[in-house]
Amino acid sequence: MSKRDFHPLVKQLLDGDITIADLPAELRSEGEEALRLLAAVDRRPLQLPEVTARVMATIGDPSRRKFWRRVIEPREIRIRVRPWLLAPALAAAAALVLWLGRSGSPAPSSDLSGLVTVRFVLSAPDAHDVGLAGTFNQWDASATPLVRTGAGLWTATITLPAGEHQYAFVVDGERWVPDPAAPAVDDGFGRRNSVLTL
Amino acid sequence: MRSETEASPDGEIVRAVLAGDRERYAVLVERYRDRYARYAARMLGSADAAEDAVQDAFVRAYDQLAQCRDPDKFVGWFFLILRNRCFAERRRNRTSAPIEAANAVAAADRADGGAEQSEQRRALQHALLELTPDQREVFVLKHVEGLSYGEIAERLSTSVPSLKMRMHRAYDRLREQLREQT
Repeated sequence: MSKRDFHPLVKQLLDGDITIADLPAELRSEGEEALRLLAAVDRRPLQLPEVTARVMATIGDPSRRKFWRRVIEPREIRIRVRPWLLAPALAAAAALVLWLGRSGSPAPSSDLSGLVTVRFVLSAPDAHDVGLAGTFNQWDASATPLVRTGAGLWTATITLPAGEHQYAFVVDGERWVPDPAAPAVDDGFGRRNSVLTL
Repeated sequence: MRSETEASPDGEIVRAVLAGDRERYAVLVERYRDRYARYAARMLGSADAAEDAVQDAFVRAYDQLAQCRDPDKFVGWFFLILRNRCFAERRRNRTSAPIEAANAVAAADRADGGAEQSEQRRALQHALLELTPDQREVFVLKHVEGLSYGEIAERLSTSVPSLKMRMHRAYDRLREQLREQT
């Protein structure tokens, strides 16, 4: 615990589990600092009266529906398994291993109905938690946690549809790490996303 | 008729919309629009960004309404869509200056609050934007929305101990940020 951290009892005060009167005298001043922090919380409601009309106009727009039908309707895609995906890239800090749904040698192609199971591996011995965020989970860093498997390795195995997916590892909820074992693209905001093409 | 519609349970409205009565979706938007606007504003640091996020989330929820497994729990499902939208937005804009966003939230303060209170709110909102999204979210749900740890755990499908750990890290980081600002 650094000297800048709140004392555990003060954290209980912030959580509402105890009152400031329960704190020993030497922690009263720290407790008052904590309560000032909570007093600055902005709980005022926010009203968005325009949103209803905008939402209803958007969902009622026939041209938009046509666009989404084009995007959503399944299309047949022939894919080819790239050899580099199968090469063990474990020498890198992070590695991606592709497991085909069928055992044995890799199928040369598959259609859209053939999902592919992918194992993501990250070497991060000092991490407390690691997540996988990408286009397949709306970049939600908490949606696909990796599990520590020993020797500092973190893994997650998920099934993805054929197509291109962008992703990054999220270490301790704040550090976004692209996969050095995979190609990357600029995300348009100055960072790099890894790309997986299945 | 209008009051009857407004009193209808979420599940009944969802089923009606799925059956083709699109206009009734407006009842759900009216019902939850403002309730979740505040969550989005505190997560994103700006009322304008919150408005865009809430609007997009309702449109996305409409597009995916057939995937709402339990129409009676529409609001919990909608919350997760909005949450993902807020997380993605912060990721896209993580290089933008959080001070500007915090100032934007505090700008409305000056009319209805004292200068000191306005400054404290601005400082805290600025500090909140320096947290990780996970830390900020648990703080907002508990201390802005007033949910208990148990309620948050249920909403986010996680455990109370892990939420507490996240929150306690958030407290320390907020303290550090607020001290650096003064």
